Amino acid sequence: MIDVHSTRRIAAALRAGARGAGERPLVFALAVATMAAGLLVLGAYLLVIANLRGVLARAGAELRLVAFTELRGAEGDEPVAALAAKLRAQQGVASLRYVSPGDALSRLRGDLGQDAGALEGLDHNPLPGSFELAPAGGARDPAALRGLADRVAAVPGVTDVRWGEPWVEGYARAVRIAEWIGAGLGAFLLVVLGTIVASTVRLSLHARADEIAIQRLVGAGAWFVRLPFCLEGALQGLAAAALALAILRGLFALGLPLLGDALAWLLGGQPAVFFGAAESAALLALGPMLGLGGALVSLVSLDERA
Amino acid sequence: MIQMYHVDLRYAGGTYGLRDVSLVLEKGDFVFLTGSSGAGKTSLLRLLFGAESPSAGQILVAGRNITRLPASQIPQLRRQIGVIFQDFKLLPERTVFENVAIALEIAGVSRSEIRTRVWSMLKRLGLAHRIDHKPRMLSGGEQQRVATARALVTDPALLLADEPTGNLDPALALDIMDIIADAHARGTTVVVATHDPALLERYRHRRVVLDGGRLVSAKSPEEYALPARHAGERRA
Repeated sequence: MIDVHSTRRIAAALRAGARGAGERPLVFALAVATMAAGLLVLGAYLLVIANLRGVLARAGAELRLVAFTELRGAEGDEPVAALAAKLRAQQGVASLRYVSPGDALSRLRGDLGQDAGALEGLDHNPLPGSFELAPAGGARDPAALRGLADRVAAVPGVTDVRWGEPWVEGYARAVRIAEWIGAGLGAFLLVVLGTIVASTVRLSLHARADEIAIQRLVGAGAWFVRLPFCLEGALQGLAAAALALAILRGLFALGLPLLGDALAWLLGGQPAVFFGAAESAALLALGPMLGLGGALVSLVSLDERA
Repeated sequence: MIQMYHVDLRYAGGTYGLRDVSLVLEKGDFVFLTGSSGAGKTSLLRLLFGAESPSAGQILVAGRNITRLPASQIPQLRRQIGVIFQDFKLLPERTVFENVAIALEIAGVSRSEIRTRVWSMLKRLGLAHRIDHKPRMLSGGEQQRVATARALVTDPALLLADEPTGNLDPALALDIMDIIADAHARGTTVVVATHDPALLERYRHRRVVLDGGRLVSAKSPEEYALPARHAGERRA
């Protein structure tokens, strides 16, 4: 239970933290610059990951299962609609599109190009009608697609299902690797940043050791001593995150025209995008959290009796 | 107010700061802790405000057994005690006002009350004109008065003073002692560590004499007024 005296103590400690930040502008600026450099690297890395994930997400959205049917094109619309309804009812199907035997033959002609003449000798269209099924967002991994393919194959009227299993496996592996590398490098950068903040706070603690000792002698509790450093760490983190975000935005705007072709190739023709409001806010929030975390780590051993 | 029973303070390496010290101080007492340098005066004071833990024995301060007090409760104990240090222990980058106010901030007093009480205390100690100055701009006597103001501004139940006049000339020493005596007159229990015979002569209060970490005598002022052969030593 926090009483009025504790509240006032907390307020006094926070005022001391704000005052401390203002009293050592050079130390504060150095800490901010160091953290901002780290956050800039982290932010740039996250930006690359976000864009690569976008590429992978778009590739995933283009995934299709093709269900070949017994439909030959002469049955009229009713059997097509009935089969379409059965397929649409399958769990994991986001949308579907019917490709009639005629459409399939036209596509084949287009794909063959100059060799399309080879089809002229056919006395009838050998291609069946088919459905192209777009899997739902949560059903794009190989296991889910395999399950969906099995369910679709079991629908009466479907003769075969193809879904480019090797490609999907490769896609899933690429996503997994990107996520693991992302998590590993991200964690590494966070630890490095946390260490930088903790070292900065430890230096600050060392510089103010006499002041802390005197505070303790006149009755300051551990949290009265810790809070100013926590606030200072959080303020440094916030300033560093804002600075890193601004620099990153500037570099993105300046670098985009220079790297346009290379980026377009890397991103499969898609334009590079900067963080949205939510991602920017998350990066901004990361700064104070890191500052606070680093301060807490370096203050954990503060002795109550000293 | 203070009860010490067979207290030892042994440092790493086996040397003793205090040995088998037993002492009782009632609420409102004024006691001089005397003895030569290294006798154990500072060690005893440090035990009383929880800066050291005894190696043996029990210490009760204001009814609380501080030998069993968890470390997290030590700050609460210290908020009830005013301590004047021989080396002042002022915050060099803070003003006189801030140095005195810190004791009240730590006690959780409101900002408006802090302003009133600090101003009033500094005025009483003749430091009102120094309120915005930093310690390095003050004389030794003024710094000691600031330290005294910080110790007294919370109206502590117990005041511990470690050689509060050690760095001062005789006139300033009497100033500081008068301030401490004034606090005692208003009900504060006072323990002053000193080896200044002039102070002991002028302020005739009970004396606790330490020698080599042992309590060798604890006499009332009346006993000191008598020839030694009539004054029986007693363990408090």
